[in-house]
Amino acid sequence: MADETKEITKKEAHTPKGTEQISARRLFRPDVDIVERKDDIVIMADMPGVGKDSVDITLENKVLTIYGKVDAEIPEKHKLYISEYGIGDYQRVFNINEEIDRDKIEASVKNGVLKIILPKSEALKARKIEVKAEVAEA
Amino acid sequence: MKNIKDIVPFWKRSVPVRREEYEPFGLFRQEINRLFDDFYRGFDLEPFEKRLGTFTPSVDVSENDKEVKVTAELPGMDEKDIDVSLNKDSLTIKGEKKEEKEEKKKDYYRMERSYGSFSRTIPLPVEVDTDKVKAEFRKGVLTVTMPKTAKAIEETKKIPIKTE
Repeated sequence: MADETKEITKKEAHTPKGTEQISARRLFRPDVDIVERKDDIVIMADMPGVGKDSVDITLENKVLTIYGKVDAEIPEKHKLYISEYGIGDYQRVFNINEEIDRDKIEASVKNGVLKIILPKSEALKARKIEVKAEVAEA
Repeated sequence: MKNIKDIVPFWKRSVPVRREEYEPFGLFRQEINRLFDDFYRGFDLEPFEKRLGTFTPSVDVSENDKEVKVTAELPGMDEKDIDVSLNKDSLTIKGEKKEEKEEKKKDYYRMERSYGSFSRTIPLPVEVDTDKVKAEFRKGVLTVTMPKTAKAIEETKKIPIKTE
């Protein structure tokens, strides 16, 4: 079963409740990996077709939104006859529960993958209190 | 699935009908499958076996009078890991998408991106000029542009339709 191939079918992004989409473009939800490291949280999102100038990242309260714009790639007069992936933009929204040092967020795009590093705030690290387990009596 | 005509002996029709009408259960099955797919999608889940396994990129193929263009989405790959080869009537894209080593053995909250090696062969509709093929990799998208041979362009004949 493990050698079965996985078709990369892009998933349509959900429009947030109570809002309507005004553009005719399709909006996809990129696949992401989220990793927690000692000092930060890393989000990596597959967004093929997105360059560094067409990404928009916003953090408002505890909601992180990433948006990537794709320039339409079908040249004029070209007739598409196999189409497995749709052309559209990417959007995904994350809830960030950890305290994040907002001034030190880093983002980069390489080969169509957006990588965001969210450093945990110093205050949070200092505030952590170790909880010791009592040794059970024999 | 058994044909409906085998189950219902008096089911006889002399007029040719569309294929779907012969297989009402086939349609029903499709509908059920679609419902299940929607159901999983609603919960943000994919059917289980789809989550396992390796990476297969999606491709688009387009053409105009002069050239054929193949694009493949290969996010997170380096051009040196991609191998493009061409023979008379097909284009093969091979490669391996490696997991980023620094992130290994960490706490993953989510793992949706896939890795592994892949090979895709795309049949070409017309003969192309193998010497003039260009491949380009930008922003995680591979674009292979293949000009059609003069012979292939010539052979595309337009057939006039006569009216009475």
